[in-house]
Amino acid sequence: MTDSLGRYHLTELCAGVYTVEYRYIGYNSTVLRVRIPNEAVRSVILTTNDINLATVEVTEHRSEAQQLLQTQTELSGAALDQTRGQSLGESLKAVTGMYSVQTGPSISKPVIHGLYSNRILILNNGVRQEDQQWGNEHAPEIDQFVASRLTVIKGAASIRYGSDAIGGVILVEPRAMPTRPGIGGEVNLVGATNGRMGVASGILEGAFSKKLTGLSWRVQGTLKRSGYVKTPHYYLENTSYRERNFSADLHYDHRNWGAEVFFSRFDTRIGLFTGAQVGSLSDLYAAISRPEPLSQPGFSYALNRPYQQVSHDLLKGRAYLRSDRWGTLTLTVARQQNNREEYDYVAFSGSLNPELYLKLVTQTADLVWEHRTRTNRKGGAFSGSMGFNGLTQGNVRRYLFLIPNYRNYAGGLFAIERYTHNRWTVEGGIRYDYRWLRAYFLNEATNKTYFTTHHWRNANGSLGASYELRDNLTLTANLSTAWRASNVADLYSNGLHQSAVAYERGNPALRPEQAYNGNLALAYTGKRFSAELGIYNNLINNYIYLKPDSVPVIRQRGAFPSYTYNQVRATFRGIDATLTYNLTERLSLTSKTSLLYAYDHTNGGFLVYIPPNRTDNSLRYTWNRLGGLSNVYASVSGLYVARQKRAPAVTRREENGVVIFTGDFAPPPPAYLLLGAEAGFSCRVAGQPLSVIVTGSNLANVAYRDYLNRFRYYADDLGRNISLKLKMPLNRAE
Amino acid sequence: MQIFKKSVLLLVAVGSLLGACKKDEENVAPTDDNEAITTATLRLTSTTNPADTVSATIENLNTQANFSRATLNLKANTTYSAVIQLWDKTQTPALDATAEIREKANEHLFVYTPASGLNLRVNLTDQDTNPAPGPYPIGLSATMTTGAASSGDLNVVLRHQPGAKNGTAQPGTSDLDTRFPVVIK
Repeated sequence: MTDSLGRYHLTELCAGVYTVEYRYIGYNSTVLRVRIPNEAVRSVILTTNDINLATVEVTEHRSEAQQLLQTQTELSGAALDQTRGQSLGESLKAVTGMYSVQTGPSISKPVIHGLYSNRILILNNGVRQEDQQWGNEHAPEIDQFVASRLTVIKGAASIRYGSDAIGGVILVEPRAMPTRPGIGGEVNLVGATNGRMGVASGILEGAFSKKLTGLSWRVQGTLKRSGYVKTPHYYLENTSYRERNFSADLHYDHRNWGAEVFFSRFDTRIGLFTGAQVGSLSDLYAAISRPEPLSQPGFSYALNRPYQQVSHDLLKGRAYLRSDRWGTLTLTVARQQNNREEYDYVAFSGSLNPELYLKLVTQTADLVWEHRTRTNRKGGAFSGSMGFNGLTQGNVRRYLFLIPNYRNYAGGLFAIERYTHNRWTVEGGIRYDYRWLRAYFLNEATNKTYFTTHHWRNANGSLGASYELRDNLTLTANLSTAWRASNVADLYSNGLHQSAVAYERGNPALRPEQAYNGNLALAYTGKRFSAELGIYNNLINNYIYLKPDSVPVIRQRGAFPSYTYNQVRATFRGIDATLTYNLTERLSLTSKTSLLYAYDHTNGGFLVYIPPNRTDNSLRYTWNRLGGLSNVYASVSGLYVARQKRAPAVTRREENGVVIFTGDFAPPPPAYLLLGAEAGFSCRVAGQPLSVIVTGSNLANVAYRDYLNRFRYYADDLGRNISLKLKMPLNRAE
Repeated sequence: MQIFKKSVLLLVAVGSLLGACKKDEENVAPTDDNEAITTATLRLTSTTNPADTVSATIENLNTQANFSRATLNLKANTTYSAVIQLWDKTQTPALDATAEIREKANEHLFVYTPASGLNLRVNLTDQDTNPAPGPYPIGLSATMTTGAASSGDLNVVLRHQPGAKNGTAQPGTSDLDTRFPVVIK
């Protein structure tokens, strides 16, 4: 209902297409299709019996991230439910343009437009996730069940969220706190045939009434266990893993201020496939030349060396103050502790110690002021924010040396302003960053500690514009720059990376990466057809990568290829396309395609580990009601991943009895096609709604290998998997 | 603003309580390998003349290997009994890795491979206690029989084969892979 001026607000809308009908007694009603999030201000003119024209302004309240003009895709609601039970990295693959770097079935690192690790920023519950993300076999330590919405901001988006985000940003957001007094919750159960995986996750939450109105709480926990996974023809030994996660949240929201304390713990133990464990280069070549792993045991939940034991604790405090005159001021402080222990095979010593131990403690503080939306006389609206991000972290290592102890300080100031007028939205942002890094080393001969210090400063900016060509057709363009200071692994790695079969050397002379990113997005929402088309070009100066050296390193276990961190000028460009066509009212076709081209200008060649082109097409049939069931659907899908033809040539030669290789250990695997099917429905059990999803993946049980899975040298990828997902919300009003 | 101030103060207090930095990173732990093999010694004794012993040692295997005392000078057409010893000298006192390998003999195998021009034959003489179809050789002791005068490298590989030992070199991973130069006169 509008107010006396004809204005009204629709808040907390879910993303999607809405049909809005504007009605007023005595006027002709007008029906509009509104696409959210995409609309900012919509003026509607109702025609009457030639009396007057009334203006209706629709202003929706969207989260700050959603207001950014950066290309972004969201995974929430039913789409997120379909991915429950998977790791964060795996579930994000449902988003066009996303891929993952995998180390077996349990370690999956998200890749946005070909960039990963430190080039992607993950905001877990509003806090910049700081773990040992430089490692290819270090997946983000976040419980996927904490999220009720995953937002991927593609392309350089560091203005708002901080430096390093030259590939993009992933926002992991929990569901909104309950406001209605009473106790509620949700139970999720997932079971899968492959690995005989079981997951149980639960939420219990509540809000108080009377004197404690505004106070709400939530506890959440997840238990997960999986045994050896199976390829079409054999089990992968020691690929078991387990997770125990827990989080608790306490909120107080008053009329114009609020505060929150949040704690979460993520704890996992991940077995690494024994067939991928090699002592040296000759073991590696022997393993690669075998069509199947030598050891093929039966199923087991056993979890032995080699494995990783990782825990991540996050404690966050947040307070905000909101005023109609000044806007919103939010302060967030957080402390994170990441403990990582990596256990390799021990041959004879029976040692219980890990080979690698890293403890990273990070404190962050963010102060953000979002000013009140101001409208000028022409009907345009200004919105924007400015703020400060601060970070300090200390890293401690023990046992083998891979990266040094260090202390890191970072500070950044930013401002973003947005102007919306009729069909136009323009946005500009600037950011200034300072970073300081001191690495500590031990001279083992003199037993004295010494250190080296780096510091960097950098300014970046972004400019974007969005124009509604028609009500259902929007064109958005964005130009932004971003930078990433070389991290401690780039600068000072020095050691044998046993799991990667590589001797890695840092390069203290590395300069920061600087990205120049352009994005163009076209979004169309029609009655039967809707489409999102994104084109991007990301030019990165001083792109850092591991370059193979020509001389291998000889150690007790034999020869290892050696790598040094190097810099080149690189381009990542590509197209993301998502098309949906409703063949009938019930039958729809969805096609998601990602094409990526990456090039190393300095050496005039291709880069290693670039996601191949892929297309995922599905056909879905829905029933509103079927017997006593609601929201019934069934779908079939086909995922085609092309062979990566643009990869460095793999060559090997022998020199003085040692094998020297360039490019990669093995050429990219062939293209593959995976068939999947899914069915789901909702029903009521004991008065509570229950939603059920059955998913089958790799139904044809095809033996395939993925280019970005580091175990592709040794074994096939996962075979057929059938999973069952149950979700039951619980509600008991007071 | 009063309430805001209070909440900021509270958060800062909570943050500093939990986030007090102790500068742990300034105490650097030395590099410590659970399983360094720094030293490998081959000791050969002539079976016909026990006074005739030859010994060769490779040091610093875990960093830049030192081969200055690694050459085995053998007599032609002689049979030697050989034992290998491995040490971890990063620990004090030095750890005898050979003893630990003997304890876990059922998952270890030494593989001795003479270079093609070297007239040397190696037979492993010890056996583990693997159940049938075992037992299999270990290779901590062996007989080495020389032929005519020649020279070349003797490659020594220690294979770690937990649960997979089958008498061949294929399963498992290498814990040691090095070379002793051999001169037969």
